[in-house]
Amino acid sequence: MTKTGMIDFRGVNKWFGALNVLKDITLSVEPREVVVVCGPSGSGKSTLIRCINGLETIKDGDLVVDGQRLGDPATNMTRLRTEIGFVFQSFNLYPHKTALENVTLAPIHVRKIPRAEADKAGRELLAKVGLADKVNAYPAQLSGGQQQRVAIARCLGMRPKIMLFDEPTSALDPEMISEVLDVMVAVAEEGMTMMVVTHEMGFARKVAQRVVFMDAGAIVEAGTPEEFFSDPKTDRSRAFLSKILRH
Amino acid sequence: MLENFSFRTIAEYLPLFGQGLVTTVWLSALSFIGALVVGIVLCAANLQRAWMFRAPAKAYIDAVRATPLLAQLYFLYFGLPRLGFVLPELVVGILALSLNSGAYVAEIIRAGILSIPRGQVEASVASGMTYAQRMRLVILPQAFKVTIPPLLGQAIVLVKDSALLSLISVAELTRAGQLLASDRFMPAEGFITIAAFYLLLYYGLKGLAVLSSRWLGTAGARI
Repeated sequence: MTKTGMIDFRGVNKWFGALNVLKDITLSVEPREVVVVCGPSGSGKSTLIRCINGLETIKDGDLVVDGQRLGDPATNMTRLRTEIGFVFQSFNLYPHKTALENVTLAPIHVRKIPRAEADKAGRELLAKVGLADKVNAYPAQLSGGQQQRVAIARCLGMRPKIMLFDEPTSALDPEMISEVLDVMVAVAEEGMTMMVVTHEMGFARKVAQRVVFMDAGAIVEAGTPEEFFSDPKTDRSRAFLSKILRH
Repeated sequence: MLENFSFRTIAEYLPLFGQGLVTTVWLSALSFIGALVVGIVLCAANLQRAWMFRAPAKAYIDAVRATPLLAQLYFLYFGLPRLGFVLPELVVGILALSLNSGAYVAEIIRAGILSIPRGQVEASVASGMTYAQRMRLVILPQAFKVTIPPLLGQAIVLVKDSALLSLISVAELTRAGQLLASDRFMPAEGFITIAAFYLLLYYGLKGLAVLSSRWLGTAGARI
């Protein structure tokens, strides 16, 4: 068997009706690697990472995550999802639960960790994302940046092997973006395998080993942040970078 | 007209009205519990992906909503004995109200569940919850709050619908009014009195709705 990464796309295709939203994607993400995915809207970036935990299904090709092939009858998708944290653009915290309960819900019910232990770990995680004083707050009482930090803590509570971020700062006011990015940098520096859909190029430069540029469902270019930002190889990526870096 | 209005006769019949009121309250309460059971089962079937569960639930809901309650009541009252089920009128009445109201309750619950944003499902799926865990821990607790006010509205409708049981001679509130009207030939006294009692029941349930929405309102800070 050939060596596989933590996340392995091999010739993956996906259609929404007649629209080919993922075109022949081949990409391997190594353990502890941080990959930033960028590209214009509608290019398939979100769909790409949503396939990894099965929020979207693929039409053909192989997608192997943590050694398990998606769509294989032997793969227990519910089980595999416990190893993959997913951070949404719109946070999706549980509004009827406190910050702490948001973090401990899945560990208690899915991982079957005793409540006292889950509570202790949950408090530590909330402290780690700078929200020790918001343990008992409900999502509606938190700012967007605070909610997103709770959402990250909620994922970390499951002790995942992989973290996926789908435009985690796009719904935030500018002054809240950095507090979320700081937490993400800390997670990356602890050696988490991460795929991050974002246009925060400062974050990409700081922690990403690779930047993947997508357009119209295909990976157009992939390289180190250094290569990608200073010497983009394609007209499409040059045009994209000139737009997002102009201001 | 009012000079002929006999409060004395109403006072005379008050014990009968009282019994009728009590009967209306408890048969409505039982019927509403029955409607909740019917509604939850129907709604669960209606939310399944497999058509063999969904189709019968939809057909049932359509049939109930498309036909008059009176027709349904007579269907059971005259139909069940033909099938060999001879039940007391009261039981037939509660059955009819439960089966009828259950269809509406099913739709109320379904609307409540469907009102929960897609992101809640995705977040719970992504954390590795099973369908049952997702429903129990994330979807239903939120849907519950949304459905309480319309469910109380349905309870008010049910109380008024229970008046039809007078037609199969269940001794409830409307029946008491009918008796007064026919015994003494005093329809105004009979029916105005029961109207007043229904109004009383209505305000009772409405008070409950207000209390619950106030409770939900404080909990609403959580949403």
